[in-house]
Amino acid sequence: MVNFTIDEIRKLMDKPTNVRNMSVIAHVDHGKSTLTDSLLAKAGIISSAKAGDARATDTRADEQERGITIKSTAITLYGQLGPDDDISEIANQKTDGKDFLINLIDSPGHVDFSSEVTAALRVTDGALVVVDTVEGVCVQTETVLRQALGERIKPVIIINKVDRALLELQVSKEDLYQSFSRTIESVNVIISTYFDKSLGDVQVYPEKGTVAFGSGLHGWAFTIRQFALRYAKKFGVDRAKMMERLWGDNFFNPKTKKWTKNGTHEGKQLERAFCQFILDPIFKIFAAVMNFKNDEITVLLEKLNLKLSVDDREKEGKQLLKVVMRTFLPAADSLLEMLILHLPSPVTAQRYRVETLYEGPADDEAAIGIRDCDPKAPLMLYVSKMVPTSDKGRFYAFGRVFAGTVRSGLKVRIQGPNYTPGKKDDLFIKAIQRTVLMMGGKVDPIDDMPAGNIVGLVGIDQFLLKSGTLTTSDTAHNLKVMKFSVSPVVQRSVQVKNAQDLPKLVEGLKRLSKSDPCVLTFTNESGEHVVAGAGELHLEICLNDLQNDHAGVPLTISDPVVQYRETVTGKSSITALSKSPNKHNRLYMIAEPIDEELSLAIEGGKVSARDDFKLRARVLADDFGWDVTDARKIWTFGPDGTGANLLVDQTKAVQYLNEIKDSVVSGFQWASREGPIAEEPMRSVRFNLMDVTLHADAIHRGGGQLIPTARRVLYAAALLAEPALLEPVYLVEIQVPEQAMGGVYGVLTRRRGHVFNEEQRPGTPLFNIKAYLPVLESFGFNADLRQATSGQAFPQSVFDHWQALPGGSVLDNTSKVGVLVQEMRKRKGLKLDVPGVENYYDKL
Amino acid sequence: MPSDLAAPPVLSTPDENILEVPAASDRKSSTISDDVLRATYEIARTVDEIRAGGWRRIGLQFPDFMLVDAPRVVEVLDQELASVEDGGAKRRIYVLADSSYSACCVDEIAAEHVAADVVVHYGRTCLSPTSRLPAIYVYTNHELDYEVTMTEIEKEFGDKETKLVVMADLTYQNHVTKLVDHLNDRGYTNVVATDVVRDPAALIPNRTILGEPMDEEHWKSYSLIHISDPPAALLLALQTRFASLHILSTPSSESPSLTNPTMRTAGALRRRFAKVLSLASAGVIGILVNTLSVANYLSSINLLREKIAKADKKSYTVVVGKLNPAKLANFSEVEGWVVVGCWESGLVEDDASYWRPVITPFELEVALMREDERIWGGDWWGGIEKLSLIEADEKSSPEAENGVDHQSGDAEAVEDDVAGGVEGEESEAPEFDLRTGKLVSHSRPMRLAVRQNGAGADSTTGSNGTNGTAQSAALIKRVVGELASINGVASPGAEYLRSNRTWQGLGSDFDNETSTLVEEGRSGIARGYHVGEDESRH
Repeated sequence: MVNFTIDEIRKLMDKPTNVRNMSVIAHVDHGKSTLTDSLLAKAGIISSAKAGDARATDTRADEQERGITIKSTAITLYGQLGPDDDISEIANQKTDGKDFLINLIDSPGHVDFSSEVTAALRVTDGALVVVDTVEGVCVQTETVLRQALGERIKPVIIINKVDRALLELQVSKEDLYQSFSRTIESVNVIISTYFDKSLGDVQVYPEKGTVAFGSGLHGWAFTIRQFALRYAKKFGVDRAKMMERLWGDNFFNPKTKKWTKNGTHEGKQLERAFCQFILDPIFKIFAAVMNFKNDEITVLLEKLNLKLSVDDREKEGKQLLKVVMRTFLPAADSLLEMLILHLPSPVTAQRYRVETLYEGPADDEAAIGIRDCDPKAPLMLYVSKMVPTSDKGRFYAFGRVFAGTVRSGLKVRIQGPNYTPGKKDDLFIKAIQRTVLMMGGKVDPIDDMPAGNIVGLVGIDQFLLKSGTLTTSDTAHNLKVMKFSVSPVVQRSVQVKNAQDLPKLVEGLKRLSKSDPCVLTFTNESGEHVVAGAGELHLEICLNDLQNDHAGVPLTISDPVVQYRETVTGKSSITALSKSPNKHNRLYMIAEPIDEELSLAIEGGKVSARDDFKLRARVLADDFGWDVTDARKIWTFGPDGTGANLLVDQTKAVQYLNEIKDSVVSGFQWASREGPIAEEPMRSVRFNLMDVTLHADAIHRGGGQLIPTARRVLYAAALLAEPALLEPVYLVEIQVPEQAMGGVYGVLTRRRGHVFNEEQRPGTPLFNIKAYLPVLESFGFNADLRQATSGQAFPQSVFDHWQALPGGSVLDNTSKVGVLVQEMRKRKGLKLDVPGVENYYDKL
Repeated sequence: MPSDLAAPPVLSTPDENILEVPAASDRKSSTISDDVLRATYEIARTVDEIRAGGWRRIGLQFPDFMLVDAPRVVEVLDQELASVEDGGAKRRIYVLADSSYSACCVDEIAAEHVAADVVVHYGRTCLSPTSRLPAIYVYTNHELDYEVTMTEIEKEFGDKETKLVVMADLTYQNHVTKLVDHLNDRGYTNVVATDVVRDPAALIPNRTILGEPMDEEHWKSYSLIHISDPPAALLLALQTRFASLHILSTPSSESPSLTNPTMRTAGALRRRFAKVLSLASAGVIGILVNTLSVANYLSSINLLREKIAKADKKSYTVVVGKLNPAKLANFSEVEGWVVVGCWESGLVEDDASYWRPVITPFELEVALMREDERIWGGDWWGGIEKLSLIEADEKSSPEAENGVDHQSGDAEAVEDDVAGGVEGEESEAPEFDLRTGKLVSHSRPMRLAVRQNGAGADSTTGSNGTNGTAQSAALIKRVVGELASINGVASPGAEYLRSNRTWQGLGSDFDNETSTLVEEGRSGIARGYHVGEDESRH
């Protein structure tokens, strides 16, 4: 039975100080969904018997089947601090009463679905980071933690699967302590690497209660604070003091009955307080239950003052262990306590998050509304993703109210990601039909929702593709567009088996594109419908959805292909010249590569076409060594006005130049979208317009003459500058036991992989291998690796960078790259050979 | 460093070059013998037909590569016509050089310039019906080596039961029946020949399959052999109508070789689809008039205009003569083009680097279809002949279309304005551009405009004309997404100028200058000027 009503929740929403928005993030298989279950059980959403097995936030059939989370799922919970908890412990922020509203989002752990995590983080203020006791901090732990900190999300940690350490590995207490402290240390290392002044020190400390230990599967967890509470009375010391003593190098000398920092007493090793007071009872319970010592159990239960029902008492082994531990240290209680005490409320969080959230000036009404989390300010709502409804083809817009109040029927401005204030691109006006509360797979209607809460909206899904800003202020800028840590670099094209099904496929592609924050669907030059995803698994899930759900028609799916980028590796050997068709206009152009750092800055949005040109020039000059005059004369970015190719005007005193700018820019957008080698987009190329000669009559230097000419001269300049192809490269992190390492190396070498880091996890036989692997070679990599290591290696691949394709020049048909280019051209239905520079270069 | 220019670059060709470069000297001259000339150009038949028609002024239209023979053809024709003078006035023969649109169509415009009574068209033709003048077609025949051809065909089709349709380019048409006979002699049992017929809309454009008439399904099991290289439009059209296509290339009559372009054509057809999709999301479409002679081109243009308007898009009609990329790129506000022309020239090849996609009327029809009806990969045809009329029931389609967008949206009534919301009319939902995978809101620019006009009309009737002027003087807040308009008509072209062009022509910056009071200047003659009312001289 759900132990709260919508009305209660609605009342709590008005007290933003008592709201906690948090996401559960971790490496794949560290137990996020399982842990979430215990919270749901506490809230009465699922029965506590099922908790740990149900994975109630995995709402899709394939999630349950595969045992991985694919979509992030939001759920709203009602939490209450216990009677002996003091709200005054909630440091640094105001609180109003002991009732709390917790908006929780369970996110996927597999790296291919990182975009879901990003979307979840955007709408939350805190994160529960789950770390496996045995595996420790893994790649994805680091990635999600980094993302969280980038969004100014405060983390708390739970070290999960402690039962495994006890049951499977049979570690000693001191070893377990060491393992805990190592894990916490590695988490803190990551946190301090991405230290953010506004967020402050968010490192986690067990003695401060920001670290919990437990087992999601068995449904128990504890924080030091809980034990401190028990012992504080016994020892008659202050709880805060007690917490400090229960972690680190603090020892209780039973002989002297004194606390000491010294680990030895009269030459004998003392047991540290953590082991003695916290681990000891737990170890005892485990030992007693697992060895079927019924008497001991009864004694222990009495000692700990635990009462079990008759049914439960009759259980044995693991079942009994579960019940005992769950009664002793219920996971939900300790988690709730940790979340409520240590995660920020929206009021607290938005104060420091506003500057990273909002694109506009810090002092306009929207920014102030967000800063104060003011329900009476103009509405500012960020839609971070779309959640499919039961009504096929329609979606809930899922997002967070940052300011104002959203209610059914409210007419709002919908600003898409490309909206710029004052312009009308990507701007729509529409009334919100209904507002709903997202409860896992279900929704509950709700009339309105004030700032600081997470909401689902009905009726605006057609206006947004994936994400966007909703506002009622005419002057509001956008909330910042999310940056994903993954890119859709793997493509597969789909075709209908039966031409009559095409409309269904089209509709399906539309829906697929909405339903996933990362996936791209489009039609390429050669008329193939392309679905692009972050990795093989991601694509597989998407295509499954497409075939079985969104489109529902049989499809032919091509093998995965990689999208390349065209670039140049040198400066044009001569100045490229092209004449317009009427021979009266000439353009002179030189191509050269852009520094990788700058390309990344452009792709990361740090340098963009929307910046003020003077500020941008300053950044380019200071950080990237550009000449200031050049930097001020960047005409455009491309392709699509945003990509990492630049057109720079370096002409001196040319008449009519401003008249042809539009035409040359159009030509540049065109050429950078479809490069000269294989019609792939260009990347990292800077084109310098050196000089132009123009006809004196405006009619003879119109777009007709100059757009095609600009394209030709760009092609010529690129072909003269040692063109090359860039291929995407994954960063693969593989966790593998020592004896299987040989297999890993074998597979990597065969696939052009390149290992650059290898380290052993302290205290385990496991090695972490980091390698670069071209995406092209990654198809079937997982299966190959599984075979070579008899399933002992677990790889995680995430797109890392672009790298020039080795193996000769793209212009040489006999080289390896040349053959590849020819294949690509053939696939696209182009002439086999790359057109030579003479096609574009005109003699004077 | 290549960019360091030591001296200013030379920006023009030196004047002396004119003296040095000899004028094009590689002029070809006619090489064929008189007899061959007479046979190839079918002089006798032409003369007979001209005489039978009683035509006096005759235009001869040659494709470019045959122009070398033109003087001799004229000469021979002149002789022949003169030798059998039938008492009338002398006939005049004109050579129509530089055809206005494409070599395959009869150039009626050029013919009308010389007031010709008839046009003799040489070479391959699209056989599109002409609108004003009669035409005599001379296909000019070529040789074909049957032996080699037979071997090629036998190599490809070992099975004598294979179902084959043999067709040929018009210049090889005379070999078709003979070739079929030869094939039958060799034991092929299912070979069918084709004959020329003037019907671009037939199963095979301008051809009829000999034998009993069969439905289209029947022929889908047949393979098609085309003698000589067909135009791209023909390949695309035949792609889905036959099991496979085979081309007997004839670089020279001795060495024909059989190729199978089925896969290549399928690829080409897909590439066309990409173009169709970009037109589907285009807001402004240009109708390119690429013929002035094909019958019913005017009605076709009107039809296209109506169809585009019905889809809430804007159309501009443009005549530029022979197409080339430079001409079309001058209209940068047009997002896509549709060519009204004969079925052959209506297809503009991709690789000619056009700035915006150029498609055929058929493809436009597909592009304008609703997404849930659009099917590609089946039929394809070029030209304007099959352009279907707008059916009556389609009239309700805009509503139906909106219905699809909003059906479920409007299913629940939304309460009236809730306090705190923004003002203004609700926007129309953007469309998903399948080509780029993004939402676009500019694909139906005229939808908003139409609705606004409607609203205006309502209110004027309501106010009964009493204060019609007051209405126009009232301040109206500019609606978001409103288009620039010229004389009250929304104009996407003007909108493009306003929002997308950084250079808007000289004088466009006048708005920014503050106005100054006009003062009277000096007047008079140089001996002494008056300033204003002042009588004194300066």
